[in-house]
This record gives sequence, structure tokens and C-alpha cells, in this order.
Amino acid sequence: MDFSILAQNSGPDLGKMPYIMFGAYLVLLMGIGGYGYIKSKMSEEDYYLAGRRQSFIVTVLTIMAAYFSSAGMLGFPGTAYKEGVAFFLMTLNLPVAGCAIYLLGSRIGRIGRVKGYVTPADMISDYYDNSSILRILVAFIGFLYGVPYLIIQIRAGGHIAEQIFSSTPTVMILGGQYSVFTVGTTILTLVMMLYVLVGGMRSVALADVVQGSLLLCGTLVAGGVTIYAFGGVGKYCEAVSKLPPKALSLPGITDRFSPWTMLTICLFASTASIIQPAQWMRLYAAKSARALKQSAVTFCAILPVCFLLGIMLVGLGARAMYPPTDTVDAVTGAVTSVTPHPVIGNFDQALVALLKNKGVEVLGTAGPFVVMLILMAILAAAMSTADASLHALSAVLTRDIYDRYIRPQAGEKERAWVGRIVIVIAALLALWLVQVGQNNQNFKPLQMITEMMFVAIAFSCQILPVTIDMLFIRKGTRAGAVCGMIAGLAVVFCFTPLPSLLLGRGLGSDIAGGAAYFKKLFDIGFCGFVVNLPVFVLVSLFTKKPNPDRVAEFKKIGKG
Amino acid sequence: MSQVEKSKRRILGVMLALIFALALVMGAGPGIYLVNPDPADPTARFSIFGGVPVIFAWVALWCMVQAAVAAVAYFYLWDDN
Repeated sequence: MDFSILAQNSGPDLGKMPYIMFGAYLVLLMGIGGYGYIKSKMSEEDYYLAGRRQSFIVTVLTIMAAYFSSAGMLGFPGTAYKEGVAFFLMTLNLPVAGCAIYLLGSRIGRIGRVKGYVTPADMISDYYDNSSILRILVAFIGFLYGVPYLIIQIRAGGHIAEQIFSSTPTVMILGGQYSVFTVGTTILTLVMMLYVLVGGMRSVALADVVQGSLLLCGTLVAGGVTIYAFGGVGKYCEAVSKLPPKALSLPGITDRFSPWTMLTICLFASTASIIQPAQWMRLYAAKSARALKQSAVTFCAILPVCFLLGIMLVGLGARAMYPPTDTVDAVTGAVTSVTPHPVIGNFDQALVALLKNKGVEVLGTAGPFVVMLILMAILAAAMSTADASLHALSAVLTRDIYDRYIRPQAGEKERAWVGRIVIVIAALLALWLVQVGQNNQNFKPLQMITEMMFVAIAFSCQILPVTIDMLFIRKGTRAGAVCGMIAGLAVVFCFTPLPSLLLGRGLGSDIAGGAAYFKKLFDIGFCGFVVNLPVFVLVSLFTKKPNPDRVAEFKKIGKG
Repeated sequence: MSQVEKSKRRILGVMLALIFALALVMGAGPGIYLVNPDPADPTARFSIFGGVPVIFAWVALWCMVQAAVAAVAYFYLWDDN
């Protein structure tokens, strides 16, 4: 996502409301951090998994909050604005993810509780004969997933701060003048770091309860305000029905979303998002299979409503209200490029621009409050995903790397402190990268990392074959798992800028061209999966099976 | 749990899995071609009653089917233990 143009559209002044609501939000988060600290015990299990006693409400809201990132609140309405209703098919990924919470989660949670696992690598490496290579691979995938997400969410938070305080271009602190972006990202990162640091999973989960509730309300309020801005449901539908035919059919304005792309995204990206490290740890943290069962059905019922009647409606409404310019090729008739309306400025700004320009206008005195509520919901989406990524990164680096390869003799207390140090370093490093990328026009690491965000889920998808084998089939081997995962990761790396950087214009460009072709046809994670799975199966046929006692133990515990 | 009850649950599980897969293929997969209007066809209908886009209604329908499958599984199939 490119957030750089977000600040161009300042919209109407929201009065003192931004200061009151932003301040209250930060105080609340800090209060939650303090409460988490008071309630916490100095054990590793408590710090990373809140003692495995999370109730249904906390479990479902923390899973939903981690699932719904700033990409969901900004990127999805922007894509619906750009491509039209074709992107609405994305909604069908949510019931798949919801069912995965129970089908995979109940077994993961049960085995994790009995065996005392904390990270995904704990379980996977233990099942496959305590494999060190598998542990490192799974930890590496967790790193590849977590880092881009953390940076992008912090960056999104900074740009939302710019929107919230659009009437304040700069801030004076100790004689120095700083942009709202700089101050916003710094405050948000420090607050997030503090509450994750002091309370661990307990604070993260409680903060997610607040943020999850806020973002669910925010999406529906955004949909409602959009309908209201048009003058009611009838007028909204009337305006939408006048959109260009390609905006009301598949594969969308730029032919981006074929049914096969959407089908593979719905099946693989959704499941991969539920087994990424932060979510996997939430499955461990749930107090029972019942809590996960209730979470699954609630997820299936609520999130699709928030998508269909919230953010997707806003995106389509923005297209009707502020139509973009579609450049059509005179020969082929295909749309070659889409330029957003000047009021929108950037596709990712569709929701913010529509609400700030129309929301305040049509809602009268309640306008500033409602618009601020929605902006806070976007901020909550960014913060809740960032805190989950930061917390999971700490667990992965401490449990899977420090404890295993740097200081295996470290005690539980030492590991908990190392985890906290990792949180400080990771948060400050992410903040520094965001600032450098923002202030230096020639340094663009975030551009690459943004692209990495889209393949992050694909990396996580490469754990899927071993997860299914470990929980249900139990025929795979350690060598098969390692080879399959490496093959799948190699395929996914072809979709990143890495081949072009490493191999230059010749072979690198060929790989990039091939990847671009397949990206139009299928989900990236699926492309890796179809290579990963056969390699996993083939190698497993000819290599040593895992310890039969452990396989039997996993089967017994998993089935309950 | 008796053998008869186990067998009933197994049948229900298979049926729900098939309905869920059908909803996915119909809603997000090639099934969409059944209702997808052709932009080049001047007689194509892009909206149904009240101006609601056809694709929107189609996605909402299959989403409800998926949610209903999850609800049935919640009450009759998924264990608490």
C-alpha cells in the first residue's frame, strides 16, 4: 500500500474531537497494559499465552483484530473502488478462515496445552523428530510474515495520525519541529511497545478486545454513513447501478480478479492467515476447544457482514461518488490504467476521503464524532495487527532461536526478559525503518517491504501441508517436511523482488515475468503449495517415518 | 457414543463439507460465470431488484450458505472437548 498521498486531502476541521478521542484511546491502551502487568505472573507461558486461559470473547476478538489489519480497512475499500464488485468475492475467504479456527485450532490448542508448546515451531519440530532445520524454517517463515506486517501497520498508523490531526501540520517538541507523521508513529509505537512489554499476551488480548470492538463497529458505521451520504439504500443502489459495466462484473476493471484467483485466495490465503505465528499462538491461548468453537462460528457470522455491508459498500460508493478515470486502449478496448478522482487522491484513501468529505457534511453536529470513530477504528486495525506481530516475533526469536541455539541453558525468567528486549529492539527498529523511508526520498526499503506484505501470507501458506499432516494424516516425514517447505518457499520467493536483485536482468526478469503471469491466475500461496505438497509427499514415501510413539500420542491428544 | 450416532455424524460431516465446498466454488470460483454479466452484451443485466449488483447478491447468498453450514456444524458436529 502507498499511503504517501493520504495527507494531501485534509478535509473539514474536526475541532477538538481528535485530541479528546486520540488521547482517550492512548490512555485506555496504557491502562490495559498496566492491568495486564498487575494480573500477570512471571512465567513464560503467562507472558506469551496469558496462561492458556483466554475466554471465548477475548479469543474471538483478538483473532478478529489480528486478522483485520490496516490493509483490510484501507486497502480493501481502495481495491473495491478501483476494480468494482469483482473484489467482493474476497468476502468468501472469511467463513473458510472461521471454520479453520475450529478444525485446525481445536487440535492445535489441545496438543499445545498438553505438551506445553508456545510457538508453531515448538509443535512442528517436536512432531517431526525434534528437527532443528524444521524449527529454523518455521521460525524463518514467522519472521518473513511478522516483520513486513509490523512495519506497514506502524506506517499506516502514522498516516492515520496525519488524517486525525490534519489541521496541525507540524508539532514543536523541545524546540524542534516535527511532522505529525513522525510524532504519531513514535507515540503509537512507544505506547504499543509499552503495553506489549509489560503485560505480554494478557495486555495484547485485552487491548485487542477494545480494538476489535472498535474496528467492527467502525466498519459498519462506515457502511451506514456511506448509504446515508447517498440519501438511503435506494439512492445508493441507483448510483451504483450506473457504474461502468466492467465495475459490476468479473474480472473487474483491469481484469485483475478471475474466479480462479479468488477461489485460491479464499481457500489458501485465509487458512494461511489462521496458522501464521500470531494466530497460532492465539489458538494455544484459548482456554478450551469450546472457546475456539464459539469463536469460529462468531467469526463466520460477523466478519462477512462487516466486509459486505461495511468496507466493500464504502469502496463501491466512493467509485459512484468520485469516479476514477479509466484509460482505455483504443485497439484492444482493455483498461490500461485507472487514475483516482482528485478528491480521493490515492486508492487506499477511498474510505477516508469519502467519510471526511461527505460524513461531516451529512451528519451535522454528530459528524466529527462519527468520522473520528471510524478513523480510530482504522487506527485500531493497524495497532491490533502490529501488537500481535510484535508479540509473536518476540516469542519466535526467543523460543526458537535464543533458547535453542544461543543459550539453551537459559531459565524461564531469563527467556521472558530476552523476549522483552526483543520487543524493544524490534519496535524501535521498525520505527526507525518507517522514519528513514519517510524522510529519505532515495531510500525506499519500504517499497520492497510493502510488496513483501502481499507475499507474507504466501510464506505462511507453506506451513499448511505439514500442519494438515501433523494434525490429521500423519504420513509425512521430517525429510519430506523440510524438502516440501524449502521448495514452497523457493517458489514464493520468485514472487518477490529477490530474483531480479540476485540474478539481474536476464534470468531474474524471466522469473519475474513468469511470476507476474501466475499471479494473475492464482493466489501466490497456492503456487507455492502446489509445489510444496508433491515434494512433501514424494520425499515422505522414501524416508524414515517419525517416532511411532509420538505419532500415536499426537493422534490421541488431537482427537481429544 | 453409539455406532449409529457416529455413522450419522460422519454422514452429516461429509454433507456439510460438500455443501461448503459447493458454496465456495459457486460463490468465489467458476460458479460465478452462471450470473456474471458480460460487459460487451448490451442486454446484460448488472443489477437485480432495487438496483443491487448481481455479483453482490450472489456473494451474499453463498456467504450465508457458508455461515449456515458453520452454524449447523457448531450445533450438531463440532465437539466441545
